[in-house]
Amino acid sequence: MNNAITEALAKPYSGKRTSLRVLAVTLGLGVCASQSQAQEPMPSITLTTTTESYDPIRYEAAFIIAERWEELGLDVTVAPTEFSTALERLYDQQDFDATILGWTGRTDRLDPQFFLSTLDSRQSNPGGNNPGGYDNPEFNALFDQQSQAFDPDERQQLVMEMQELYKPDAPLIVLFYRDEVVAYNHDTFEGFEPMAGEGLYSEWGPMEAEPVGERGTLRIGGPQEPDNLNPLASTSVWGWKWMRLYYDRLVRLSADVEPLPWAAESVEQVGDTTIAVTLREGMTFHDGEPVTAEDVAFTWNYYLDQDYSYFNSYLAALENAEVVDERTVHFNLKEPSASFASISLSQIPILPEHIWSEIDDASSLSPVDVPTVGSGPFQFERFDRGEFMAISKFDDHFYADDIAVDGVEFIIYADMEGVYTGLQTGEIDVTAWRMEPGQISLAESQDHLTVVNVPDFGYYHLTFNLRRPPFDDRAVRRALTMATDRERMVNVLLDGRGEVGNSVIAPVNNYWHEAFIEQFEFDMDAARAELEDAGYSWDEQGRLVR
Amino acid sequence: MAVHSESVMSSRRSYLIRRVFHGFMALFIIATLLFFLFRLGLPDPTAALITEGLNPEERERIRASFGLDRPIWEQYFIYLVNIVQGDFGYSFHYRAPVADIIWERLGNTMILMLPAIVLAYAVGAPLGAWLSWRRGSRADTSGIFVGLMFRSAPMFWTGMIAILIFGIGLGWLPTSGMRTLPYEATGFFDKIFTLDFLHHLILPALVVALYYLGSPLLIMRNTMLEVYGEDFIEMARAKGLPERRILYAHAARNALLPVVTQLAVTIGLAAGGQVVVEVVFSWPGLGREILNSVRTSDFPLAQASFLVMAAFVISLNLLVDILYTMLDPRVSFK
Amino acid sequence: MNRSRLLKSAQEPVRAILGDRLALVGLAVLMSIIAMALFAPFLSTHAPLAVNEREEGSIFTRTLEGEQVRWEALPPLGDETLNAADYRDGLGMAVGRNGVVWRYAEGDWSRLDTPLTTTLNAVNIREDGATLVAGVRGTVALWTPDDSWRTYDMPEPMGINGIVWLDDSTALLVGGGEVIWRLDLPRGEVETLASPVGRGFDLNAVALDVDGSAWVVGDRGLALRLDPEDDSVSLERLPGNRALNHIHFADSGAGLIVGERGTLLIREDASARWQSQNAPDSRAIRAGWITDEGHAFAVGRSGIIFEREPGADWRLVPSSEERHLRALMVTDEHYFAIGSDRFVNRLAPPSGEHWFGTDHLGRDLFSQNIHGSQIALLVGFLGATLVVLIGANVGLVAGYFRGRTETVLMRTVDVMYGIPFEPFALILVLLFEPSLFIVILAVSLLTWRTVARLIRSQVLSLRERPFVKAARVAGASDLRIMYLHIFPNVMPLVFLELAIIVGVSIIAEATLSFLGLGPPQSISWGGILHNARLSGAWREAWWWNLPPGLLIMITVLSVFFISRSLELVANPRLRARR
Repeated sequence: MNNAITEALAKPYSGKRTSLRVLAVTLGLGVCASQSQAQEPMPSITLTTTTESYDPIRYEAAFIIAERWEELGLDVTVAPTEFSTALERLYDQQDFDATILGWTGRTDRLDPQFFLSTLDSRQSNPGGNNPGGYDNPEFNALFDQQSQAFDPDERQQLVMEMQELYKPDAPLIVLFYRDEVVAYNHDTFEGFEPMAGEGLYSEWGPMEAEPVGERGTLRIGGPQEPDNLNPLASTSVWGWKWMRLYYDRLVRLSADVEPLPWAAESVEQVGDTTIAVTLREGMTFHDGEPVTAEDVAFTWNYYLDQDYSYFNSYLAALENAEVVDERTVHFNLKEPSASFASISLSQIPILPEHIWSEIDDASSLSPVDVPTVGSGPFQFERFDRGEFMAISKFDDHFYADDIAVDGVEFIIYADMEGVYTGLQTGEIDVTAWRMEPGQISLAESQDHLTVVNVPDFGYYHLTFNLRRPPFDDRAVRRALTMATDRERMVNVLLDGRGEVGNSVIAPVNNYWHEAFIEQFEFDMDAARAELEDAGYSWDEQGRLVR
Repeated sequence: MAVHSESVMSSRRSYLIRRVFHGFMALFIIATLLFFLFRLGLPDPTAALITEGLNPEERERIRASFGLDRPIWEQYFIYLVNIVQGDFGYSFHYRAPVADIIWERLGNTMILMLPAIVLAYAVGAPLGAWLSWRRGSRADTSGIFVGLMFRSAPMFWTGMIAILIFGIGLGWLPTSGMRTLPYEATGFFDKIFTLDFLHHLILPALVVALYYLGSPLLIMRNTMLEVYGEDFIEMARAKGLPERRILYAHAARNALLPVVTQLAVTIGLAAGGQVVVEVVFSWPGLGREILNSVRTSDFPLAQASFLVMAAFVISLNLLVDILYTMLDPRVSFK
Repeated sequence: MNRSRLLKSAQEPVRAILGDRLALVGLAVLMSIIAMALFAPFLSTHAPLAVNEREEGSIFTRTLEGEQVRWEALPPLGDETLNAADYRDGLGMAVGRNGVVWRYAEGDWSRLDTPLTTTLNAVNIREDGATLVAGVRGTVALWTPDDSWRTYDMPEPMGINGIVWLDDSTALLVGGGEVIWRLDLPRGEVETLASPVGRGFDLNAVALDVDGSAWVVGDRGLALRLDPEDDSVSLERLPGNRALNHIHFADSGAGLIVGERGTLLIREDASARWQSQNAPDSRAIRAGWITDEGHAFAVGRSGIIFEREPGADWRLVPSSEERHLRALMVTDEHYFAIGSDRFVNRLAPPSGEHWFGTDHLGRDLFSQNIHGSQIALLVGFLGATLVVLIGANVGLVAGYFRGRTETVLMRTVDVMYGIPFEPFALILVLLFEPSLFIVILAVSLLTWRTVARLIRSQVLSLRERPFVKAARVAGASDLRIMYLHIFPNVMPLVFLELAIIVGVSIIAEATLSFLGLGPPQSISWGGILHNARLSGAWREAWWWNLPPGLLIMITVLSVFFISRSLELVANPRLRARR
């Protein structure tokens, strides 16, 4: 028996190892747990989560967590909080013990830069993206290295190293990645390729869709609408998801998130800090004016000048853009940037200089005055607030021959209830947002609907406040992570449609994800052992003391 | 009605002036209350931008563009001055003038609530009169029962059941929104005077009407019962007029005042809409907008919506008082 | 004297209620609802917020009606989940939790007596019917057709997940902590084979390839191959890094590996490469089967069943019920899918077990509805008491003192009228945390205005009455006059208001809960409806959205009936209110 234990102990990462240790502890060592030292009870913990109506999944998840943590002898109170209040307390005031929130997976976040930055201690000031305050100089150094590493393989190594580095410290629990379950009506349109993090309402969706019914106009239904359609004021995904259909970008990300030259004919690195872009020939704006290098350089400098916060992270590395000849633009960077060519070039639209150069303060334009002329594959038709938006195919676009639809209409509903009803009754063809669990099984039973599971690389997380006891102790965080039954969340709350979280870089983000990091499988015995090893014990009432 | 003396006229005028003044006072207090409640109680309107990956400096700039970087007293002063000038400001979220948004939403709410309430009163009042005439009968009891039943069931539940039966089950009526989308029309009235709109209106309007039905029904019935005891009815009876004529021509006319009063009060409160009905039927009304604006800390929009609603309620209450002074000489002008 | 007047004024309403048939009915209903609230813990059949999970030895069989494939549930085999199954030449075996072993022969299932009590996860049948079973804590046992058992000791108590006969006397066992053991049965000896990875990953399944080599699959896409020639274990590169759960080879050399997140890997024949395939569902797949022709089947969690015609895409096949499927057993005539470890009894319609059915998380709705009465009544009565207390006092003071006091108080009432209910409640919730207190506060802050107005107008006329004047002349203090002389006269009105406001408060509470502003983890009727709508299942699950609404309705209705009889006492001229 003893042999078996030592052998098991010798194995790294063995799931059973720790439970055996507990066995050993309870058999012999546990008895002499010291009673003589002064024992302090743990401070009680407030676990902040969203309200049930904002997100029933995160709300219920908090109670699953609290139940187990209490079993460990902690005093846990769950505080469901209105979303923006929770955000404010977490990020701005950093006044929290442990908070459950999430990051959405936007295509530009497939680049590891953003998610890794949430663990960089230089982001831990109030308002920064690292509210937990994880501080690991080694991690920071690697972060800088990777953000300037041009060679993808070298960068991949660094990114993986960073994941291995932070994970054993358990600065946060990545709870789960939730599948986006969407559906479309295959009696009206076909040919959709789902895109990770974007579902079917991706920038490619309308370009790929092929009508199989009589209607040539694709109808998309969503539960929210853009805040506005001003390319210098919109601060929501809903605004940009729509605008990118009628504004072109130099580069577009493919469904596999590879950068494809789009309005650019080629993108070349001509020095450490200079990127040369050559434009495609013969492009025009929707009003007939040609698209020139002047427009491109103007747009980028205009964005720098107008100080549009939403794009600042894409522009951070840019010094300026200069016109070299009629079709060539040079982007001069302040420092080498690994993500500029792929991410920044694929996010910033091309605006017509002849329209925007007249506008001094673009952010305060009244909605009726906002120009809508772009050079994208579709052109703007109308936006009736709260009701619907429409665009039509732009026949002079270089990609026009590959587009099978006549146009796209986006129908705005009040909530997913409305969207689902619209889909069921044939009012719309595609859902722009994930369905509620109860709707999924209904949709599956409908003959005209195809249900699509799209894995997400955004994640739901529980962030510890590392500045506060008991979370300043690594062992406590590790133990609490082990005592978090994430499998149950996925199975019961998501009905299996999701994946237990491990790294801030999700498994679906294959290239950057490090699969072989510590998993922290749910194991109460291991959690207890972890605490015991760190000098914690339990009093007569079963409360955790130190 | 006797001829009013000079003094009665002037006391009435000063009474009205006082009432209007009080109304404005109430509005001012509400405006102030709201301003500080929002500023001190609600989260930062840019907090939600964190999820978009914005860093503190960038958010600070946005706050400055909203004018939130100024001292709170200065903000309050600007806010008051703007209100007096009829300027509700710019919505943080929509980046559009608040007034435009509110008028549109208010229009949507009223176009649902007005027909529904009018329907409820148009059916409820005569029904109540009829029930009073048949008092004590089985029809009376069941009439009261039905009226109170719909009054007791929460409106959102009645709405859900109505959607289940008529929308999803039978498929007769649309279940959400104000019209079939997309459409060609552009103007507000073009959008409303269509059969399609009426089709969408039926279900939510019926649900609201059923809820309100009990109120005119019971008021009318009870007032009628009181009126029956009064002298002039006895006189009419003595004259040998037919019962039906007595009922409608004499009694009902006199019982109408409290019903009309109640109608005015109800319409006043209707400006806020029935949030739950707007939620259940996805109706883009003011009630839902105000909930959203509070949730997203869109101060200008939330403040203005509250104010508009309050103004509506207060002015209709005022109207009721004026109606009373006009129609009922017994009311004194304290 | 005054006390008796107070008493008298209280008697009147009681008499009024007793004299009215509708009011009596209302009183009876209200009393039963109150009883329901008081005895909720005894009346409810389940803990109202507990997720109800069940376990059973589920078994499904594949049926074909015309073109339509459908998997039908058969009567379950006992209460223990079945984790693995095997079939060979007329004999089938299925093993599960608590050492359960079921034998299938000639179309019948029978339970075997075993000396085992631990959970079994693997089973493999030898040509002659001798069957090896294995499971957690190193459990390994051999059953021979003469119905005798022999158990084997393993070097470590590791869980065994897969087992396969290598030849007549040796078997390969794989399991947790990356253990690979070769068991020599006659001698009972175990040889540990080294894995080339050695990082303690769990191994989940093992199968024999047509060339005699053994394939082992496990966590993080791990695949190992044991070569019988040189006895070496080598690492195989497969697409993907999700945990692999099961592997199966057909005699033709076609192979199928299934795993987490809809992982499906197919090898068309012995010489082909493993190809990743698109799964129609991204949930966990636990077992797969492929025929010589390449017809493939896969089953998994939440009742997922996929099928694939040779060369075609995988498609989802409907089944009669949703269970967690763990294994496939293919006999000469049938395809069986078995499971099911603890599954959530979601959205179950009313049954003997759950009288009002269950919700989307398998929670008992009958118990929720019973408990819902507590909050409704609490808010109803507490809220109403508070409202009447504030309203009556404000009305009394304003009406009695008049002048500046009245102006201030009545202007406050005006302001209150200008504030809409739901948004104001939301602001309160944002200011403080959502709680029962906030709900009551919101209800009472915005309802007292009506009461105050009514009482005031009543007091206005009362204060001019002779008995008040007399009291004043006699030198009674203001307080004394207000509360001892005037107040008893407005008592009937107060009672009436109390009754009406109870109804109003109950609806107001339901409305707030329906909008999601109610206290967390509390159960209220409005909250049940909130969940129903939020889940999206309300349009199908009538048992979810009918009872709470009906309960609200009859509770409020009964209160209104009672109030109607009070109305006659209070004031025949009284108008109904908003």
